[in-house]
This record gives sequence, C-alpha cells and structure tokens, in this order.
Amino acid sequence: MDVALDSLRFIDLSTSSIIFLFIVGFIGGLVSGFIGSGGAFVLTPGMMSLGVPGTVAVASNMCHKFPKALVGAIKRFRYGQVDIKLGLVMAVSAGVGVQFGIKLQRIILEKWGQSGSNLYVSLSFVAVLILVGGYVFYDAMTADKSGKPKPGVSLAQRLQKIELWPMMTFKTAGVRISMWFTIPVGLATGMLAATIAVGGFVGVPGMIYIIGCSGLVASATELVIAFVMGLGGTVNWAMHGMVDIRLTVIILAGSLLGVQLGAIGTTIVKESLIKFVMGSIMLIVAVSRGLAVPKYLAELGLMDVDPGTVSIMDKASFLIMCAALTFGALIILGSMYKARKANAAEEEREAIVRV
Amino acid sequence: MAHEMTKKQAVMRMIGFGAASAAVFGAIFHFANPITEIFSRGGFYAALPIATVFLVSYVHGSFASNLWTALGINAKQPAKTLQPTAAKRPEVRATLNA
Repeated sequence: MDVALDSLRFIDLSTSSIIFLFIVGFIGGLVSGFIGSGGAFVLTPGMMSLGVPGTVAVASNMCHKFPKALVGAIKRFRYGQVDIKLGLVMAVSAGVGVQFGIKLQRIILEKWGQSGSNLYVSLSFVAVLILVGGYVFYDAMTADKSGKPKPGVSLAQRLQKIELWPMMTFKTAGVRISMWFTIPVGLATGMLAATIAVGGFVGVPGMIYIIGCSGLVASATELVIAFVMGLGGTVNWAMHGMVDIRLTVIILAGSLLGVQLGAIGTTIVKESLIKFVMGSIMLIVAVSRGLAVPKYLAELGLMDVDPGTVSIMDKASFLIMCAALTFGALIILGSMYKARKANAAEEEREAIVRV
Repeated sequence: MAHEMTKKQAVMRMIGFGAASAAVFGAIFHFANPITEIFSRGGFYAALPIATVFLVSYVHGSFASNLWTALGINAKQPAKTLQPTAAKRPEVRATLNA
C-alpha cells in the first residue's frame, strides 16, 4: 500500500535521523528515570532541527513522554519510591496550572507578538533554572557524605506543623501537610510545563523543599504527574492529528531502555546524586537559554545584534542543551558503575569473612 | 515484592519480548506511510496512536526490563533490617499454693 504523506507535516526519515532520535530518546529516558523529568527539552528542538514542524515535534514528543513516564513510574513503584496519592493530587493542580500558563502565553502573544512570547519563555527558563537549579545544586553540594539531608528545621517541616484544613497524609512520602501547600507547587509545575515543557524542574524541587519529600520519592512521584499531564496533552494533540507516530515510536524505543536503567540507578547511587544531576542540568540549560535572549531582544528592537552572531548563538544554545543532557547521563552511568563496583567488592569481602 | 527472576528466566523472557517488539516495530515501519496518515486524521482516530504507544510500552518495556536483568544490571535491594523480637516471657500459669 503506497500512501503519500503530507510533506508539510511529516518529514522523510533517514537512517541518521533515526539513530539521532533513538540516542536522544535513550539519554532523555535515562535522565527522566533518574531525576523524574528532563530529556523532553532537547527532543523538541532536536526534532525541529531535522525539519519537523514545531507543533508536530511538540505533539510527537508528548506522545512518547507519557508512556515513558508510566513505565518509569511502575518500575520505581516496585522499589517503593512512588507516592501515587501525592502524584495524583499534584497532577490535578498542575492541570489547572497548565491552563493558567497557556492563558498567560496567549496574553503575551497578543500584546508583544511571537518575539515577545519567545522572550518571555526564554527569560522564564533562565530565571527559574538559575534560582531553583542553583539552590538544588547548592543543597546537593552541601549534603553530608552519606547523602542524608542536613539536620535543622526546614521550610517543609515548618509548613507541616501548620494545621490548616484539609490536612493530607502521604504514606510513602511519610508526610502530613495541608492541601493548601501542595496546590501552589502543582500550579507552578503546570505553569512551567506550559511555558518551557519541563514542569519537573519546579515540581521535583517543590516536592522536596516545600512538601518535604525525599529526593527519591519526589523524583519518582514526578513520573506520575508527567504521565497524567502527558496523557491529557497527547489526547489534545492527537485529536488535532499532530502526532507523527514514526517519530514517537523511535524515541520511545530508546527512552524505554533509558528510563528503566535510570530507575535502577536510583537504588544504587547516593540519594544526593539525584539533586546534583538535576541542579547541574538546570544550570547548564539556563546558560543555553540565556544565549537565545539577545535574538529575541533584537527582534523586538530592544538590542542591536549582528545576524551572524545570532546564528552562532542559536547553534551554541542547542549544542549546550545537548551537552547538559549528555553530562547528566554520563554522571548517572559513571556513578552507577562505581557504586556497582563498590557493592561487588563489599559482597566479596563479606563472603571471605563468612568463610 | 515479586519473586527474584533468575538470569536464565530473564534471557528467555528477553528473547520472547524482543521478538514481539521487533514484530511491532517491523509492522509499524513496513506500513509507515498509511499508518502515519490514518493516525493523523484527528478526532476519534486519536485513539490509534495512544493505543499503539501503550502496546509498544508493554512489549518493548518488558523487553528492556529483561534485557537489563539478563545483563546483570539489577536494582539494589534495600538492606533487610531485623525487627527486634521481644524476648519470650514465660507463660503465666495459675498455681496452687497448697
């Protein structure tokens, strides 16, 4: 059966683009399985660099994201790391946050046009990633050697003491907190997801520092939120016929391998490594998005930049984004290798002692 | 927790799910153009790509899981903490002081 595809929506796939998508899918899956999110932010521009139209890239990316999150969540649920109730509560408020985010984007688009909207997205990226990523990175670097959280009264512990009806108990997370403190975290997650497509960059730190979950539970629970939101988004995009199933299944082939490896990694390495990887990726991506800001400022007539320089900065921005993901993946794989070696040596020692 | 799978079982399952996964991917790419066209018609056709990714996640996800197990890359089981057992107290018996 020979059917001609609409060439405006669907690209011709070459072997090199299949290999590229598979590898990015694998690395993105590995990072997502480990820190609960990430990966998606490279896939959309990555697909667009192959000539895929923006809307098809976003739709196909989202269609691969929710089954990947589902498989990762099931795997980490088996390890006792997922708090389903917290994930669902967060997903509901994140769903509302997405609607707020879309509305805000529309207002900006109407007022300042496409360049204004792009500038808003890039500035949100830079501001959120530097602030939140910087704090997560600082927290990871100052954690004690065992990877346990620092002693002292944290913001989350203070919030948990406030008895504001309705109080909610999250058993796996080991947290009892008012519903009113979970809502802003969910809303911010959804708003960020609608703006920069990676809600987890606020969701995971929010669950750790505001709700009071451990890094393990927060990153695992984020997968539940990603599944619910991704499924909702996919239904919407697929109803408009924007999903290119070929792209989706190629990325999925790589990411299902990666997400399970990342999930296994969380049981092997120190918990503080989750924060370290997340903080590092966020800070590197902030630099990448920062490089895109002058282009939009020039388009709005607020700055004078040479077109050649803009083109170089654009390419550098994409390469730095890929580097962020690769850096995260290398740290995860390297740490897993080291931890497995250390475990094997310990088991050997124990066996000798027993003999 | 589910019972531990042996490496041999994992290899067998990996081969089975691997073959099924190859069949699914083979079918999608053999009929790539008509499938892509039908799946992008929108409306109720939206159910098709969603059902497909669920099928791929089950088949290819099971293959991936067994592949890592077969390669010896497993999750570390949390150290089993021994629950302190209370010392057995002698049973109280009624005695007669005659």
